[in-house]
Amino acid sequence: MLYIIEDTINGILMGSIYGLTALGLTIIFGVLKVINFAHGSLLMVGMYVAYWAVTLTGVNPYLALIIVVPVMFFFGYYLQDIVIQPIFKAEKNVREPITVIIVTTGIWYILDNLTLLIFGPQYRNLPDNPLRGKMLELGDMFISVPKLLGFITAVVTAAGIYWFFQKTRAGRAIRATSLDREAASLMGINQYKVYNVAFGIGTATAGIAAVTLIPFNNVFPTVGVLFDIKGFIIVVLGGLGSIPGALIGGIIVGLIESVGPQFMTATWTEAIVYGLFLIVLFVKPSGLFGQKYDW
Amino acid sequence: MQILNVTDMTKDFGGLRAVDNLSLSIEKGQILGLIGPNGAGKSTAFNCIAGVFAPSAGTITFNGERINGKKPWNLCKSGLARTFQIVKPFASKSVLYNVTVGAFIATRNRKTAEAKALAVLEELNFADKKDVQSGNLTIADRKRLEIARALATGPQLLLLDEVMAGLRPSEVDEMVAIIKHLRDSGVTVFVIEHIMRAIMALSDRIVVIQFGKKIAEGTPTQIASDENVIKAYLGEDYAVS
Amino acid sequence: MNRSQINTAAMAAILLVAFGVPLVIRSATYLHILVLLFFYAYLTTSWNLVGGFAGVLPLGHAAFVGIGAYTSTILSLQYGISPWLGMMVGGVLAAIVGVLIGLPTFKMRGAYFALATIAFAEGLRVMVENIDFLGPLNLNGPRGLQIPPMDTGFANFMFASKEPYYYIILILLIAVLALTWVISRSKLGYFLNAGGEEPEAAMALGVNVARSKLAAMAMSSFLTALAGTFYAQFTLYIHPKSIISLDLSFEIAFIALIGGRGSIAGPVLGALLLRPVSDFSRIYFGDTLPGMHLIIFGAVLILVMLYQPRGLQEPLTRAYRKLLDRWAKKTPEVASGGQDRSRGGEAHADS
Repeated sequence: MLYIIEDTINGILMGSIYGLTALGLTIIFGVLKVINFAHGSLLMVGMYVAYWAVTLTGVNPYLALIIVVPVMFFFGYYLQDIVIQPIFKAEKNVREPITVIIVTTGIWYILDNLTLLIFGPQYRNLPDNPLRGKMLELGDMFISVPKLLGFITAVVTAAGIYWFFQKTRAGRAIRATSLDREAASLMGINQYKVYNVAFGIGTATAGIAAVTLIPFNNVFPTVGVLFDIKGFIIVVLGGLGSIPGALIGGIIVGLIESVGPQFMTATWTEAIVYGLFLIVLFVKPSGLFGQKYDW
Repeated sequence: MQILNVTDMTKDFGGLRAVDNLSLSIEKGQILGLIGPNGAGKSTAFNCIAGVFAPSAGTITFNGERINGKKPWNLCKSGLARTFQIVKPFASKSVLYNVTVGAFIATRNRKTAEAKALAVLEELNFADKKDVQSGNLTIADRKRLEIARALATGPQLLLLDEVMAGLRPSEVDEMVAIIKHLRDSGVTVFVIEHIMRAIMALSDRIVVIQFGKKIAEGTPTQIASDENVIKAYLGEDYAVS
Repeated sequence: MNRSQINTAAMAAILLVAFGVPLVIRSATYLHILVLLFFYAYLTTSWNLVGGFAGVLPLGHAAFVGIGAYTSTILSLQYGISPWLGMMVGGVLAAIVGVLIGLPTFKMRGAYFALATIAFAEGLRVMVENIDFLGPLNLNGPRGLQIPPMDTGFANFMFASKEPYYYIILILLIAVLALTWVISRSKLGYFLNAGGEEPEAAMALGVNVARSKLAAMAMSSFLTALAGTFYAQFTLYIHPKSIISLDLSFEIAFIALIGGRGSIAGPVLGALLLRPVSDFSRIYFGDTLPGMHLIIFGAVLILVMLYQPRGLQEPLTRAYRKLLDRWAKKTPEVASGGQDRSRGGEAHADS
């Protein structure tokens, strides 16, 4: 019984981190109406940036955020501006910008393999990391400290971004653009700049998620792939474009992964996640909190 | 005989009642015009009849058969065709290809379909442009293509959704001639239009709706002098008195 | 000669060369490379029926390769059924699965559909990796299935040398290209194009868009599964990570996209251009610069989408037609009379 509570708590913690990784995906979709297939790779890049920031300067991973967040923001900003934007402009009138999906898939391939080329396939982790393996004892249960920190980070980040979009002028400008590009541009909002910023924010969020992950997750070139796929599942579950949805979707996945193995083998829980994904896609594609996307 | 009969049709979108107990009918071989201020519910009514969505209440019968909620492709096979207000050509394909798609409704054979498509194009004086990529056409030609495509399906009733929008006066006159020719060749036509001189010139009868309700019905002359209509919509210029 | 006659002659010449290659090239390595080249060309052409003509983006087609491979292999290993028969069974099974997937997903937006196909393919892979026995059928989980050497011969779909495999896949490729050409000029082809480009307009013209897409999907998955059996019989070893892999699904899609989906020649051209790149970079860069060919793929993909979204077949076809025109002018007129229409015997999906 105790194990189930412990698993549940860890599942929620890990799930919130999953939600954090998927947050960028949902933001980018919410604004650009594009599913960024390269999101996992961006997360991977964030992990490498964070890893090197920590290894070279020896600071606590969370302090490395100071470097990681701006670097990732500008990386995303210019990636959108230089590579994706031209396709966007070309597909302005197309109902479904499929080509953007294709391009982001290309970016995924390039990033993953370029990283492989430059850094090699080896798994890296932070050896002298103060957080590694640290556990918090709650009665007879062990709660992972890095995951707890990740949970807090996830909630704070999600809340912060939610506040940004709801309350600040810049955030509202972005939301306006996402609802109606032309109307927004008539109001003096440069829609393409908005897209760049939104992409930058999404990528920066991935950077934050990366920082929470490196204390306990290995860093290697294809680490993003699994998070990419999980990210899609999470945002579909929670609803594309919904920030609380991303967190909740992540927690659902996290719970299945941690509580599931009590009842079946770990790989079957993976199959369940996919199954759940497909069910949601078929039954309620807009997810739990998603925007009503006109079919 | 009545080819189309709409009885007490209502369409709600959540809390918004777009069409309110609308009734109208079209005699075979007629041209019926539907006018009304913007937002009156014309397109919604059209889309209900064309099978894009089902009405919330009421009955629509076509050739005596109830067609509520019937899918657009089945309606087309039954003889009810429509064009779109915002034209949707298959832009990457030629004019002939576009029209052939419509012509395939009656056959599996490509040569037969193409022949029919060519015949339709010739009927509309459009055959010279048959190999032009439809994405490169002018707006007036695109509108003609819309009609040609729909015509290739061999409809008994053709729904034209603001087919004059965006045309110059001379092009409007051409389009009026085309539609009259359609009627003469046996196709019943149901037109939504904003361009007054077109609808007045074309229609045998006109139905006027506002806020989803029918506010007047009659011949063009009657409509032009109907007080309600003038108040709602037409303006002094068109009042006949 | 007029243009269409030259084109036919050119096509015949290409066919002749293709059939004659094994008589000239005897090296098993090169034949192997060519077999795989045709294999990918076949896969992308089959993919094109859905991804090109139906206008959606399926990114999980490796699942059908897997279904084909596993079906025929299990039937052959456990029940002694001829792989040819197993191939057909696998194809039908794949077609059924394809339709089942298509039914709910074709209504979705493009991105969702792509995601659904990825989820399905990955889900299938995970399942196969974890199941050793499905009822009486032995799937052997992640270890995969190995086909032991049997008496060679047509009946067993097993041959000692590469040549028979070469001819089989070549014939399959030609068949699938011919099928694509026939479909592009048929009612289904027109309907698929229309439904893919402007579904609302198509529906108003009597096109049951969903049903056309399902028909395309059934055909595509059937054909793809056949290749799965071929692969199993060619390499004699199948396991989930190789045959139901996301990499394979993506590579198939990328090649078709770069070559030009929606056209007939596009996927084949894509394979002809990209597979050698892939092979060479693996051979020459394999150790020093691993994954280089995938970087090249990704970069080419992005560049093509930016500058030639309809694929490389567009400029190539134009150049080819110009060539045809120049030759037509040079050679004397054969009594064929009349205007040549570009429809001719050209195996290119025209407008």
